[in-house]
Amino acid sequence: MTTTEDRLRETLDALAAGIEAAPPAYRKARGEWLRRERRRRLVLAVLIAIVFALADLIGLWALNQTRDHDPIIFDDRSRIHQTEPATRVIPP
Amino acid sequence: MTSPLIRAQQAAAEADAALAELFQTQYAAMHRLAVLLGADDAEDIVAEAFYQLYRRWKKLRGAEKAVPYLRSVVCNLTRMRLRHLQVVRKHATPETAPPTGSSAEAEALLHDDQRALVAALKELPPRQREALVLRHWLGLREAEIAEAMGISAGAVKSHTSRGMAALTRVLEERR
Repeated sequence: MTTTEDRLRETLDALAAGIEAAPPAYRKARGEWLRRERRRRLVLAVLIAIVFALADLIGLWALNQTRDHDPIIFDDRSRIHQTEPATRVIPP
Repeated sequence: MTSPLIRAQQAAAEADAALAELFQTQYAAMHRLAVLLGADDAEDIVAEAFYQLYRRWKKLRGAEKAVPYLRSVVCNLTRMRLRHLQVVRKHATPETAPPTGSSAEAEALLHDDQRALVAALKELPPRQREALVLRHWLGLREAEIAEAMGISAGAVKSHTSRGMAALTRVLEERR
C-alpha cells in the first residue's frame, strides 16, 4: 500500500519530468545581467545627484532668507553685550 | 608576484566560469522547481534568480552556497508572484483572469489520481506547498528547507504536516 508521501513523490517526479527546461545561451543571459547592472548603477547615481542638488538648493535658499548681518550658525551677541553683574561688596 | 589588477581579473574570470557552469547545470532544476511551486512565469523567475546570484556572487560565503541561495530566491520570487496573482484574481473579471500556471502541458501526461493530487497541491497555501515540494521532490532536510524558505525548522515541520494532512484528506475523499 502506498502512502500519501509516496504518491506525492511519484506525482511530483512525473510532473517535473514533463517540463521542458533547456537553458538559454549563457552569453546572452550574461549580457542581460550586465545591461541591468549598468542601468541599476546609472539610476542610483542619478538619484544620489538629485539628493545632493536638492540639499544644496535648500541650503542656498535658507542662506538667502537671512538678513545681511545676522549670524546664521552661531549667535553670541547676547553674551558679548551682557553686562557683568555688580559686586555688592560693602566696605568695612 | 602578481599585481592586484591581475588578481582581480583572475577572480572575475573564475567567478564567470563558476556562474557559467551553475547556469548550465542548475537552470533546468530551478525552472522545474518554480513550475512545481506554481509559478506562471517560471522562466522570468529563474532569470531573475540568476541575476540576483550574479549581483551577490562576491558576498556568498563560498561557491557551495550558490545553489541554496538560488533555491531561496526562486522560492521567494514564486511566493511573491502567487500573492500578486491572488490579488489580481480577487479584482479580475472572468475574461481578464490570469492563467493558473505553466505546468498545463506536463499535467496532461499525468493519471487522474495524480492530476487530483496536483489540483489539491495547488489549493494549499504557498508555504505548505513549498515545504512539500522541497521535502518530497528535492528531498531536502528540514534545516535546508528552513534555509530556503527563510523560516525556522519548527515552522517547516508544521507546514509539512499540515500540507500532508490536507492532501491525505483529499485523496481519502476521492476513494
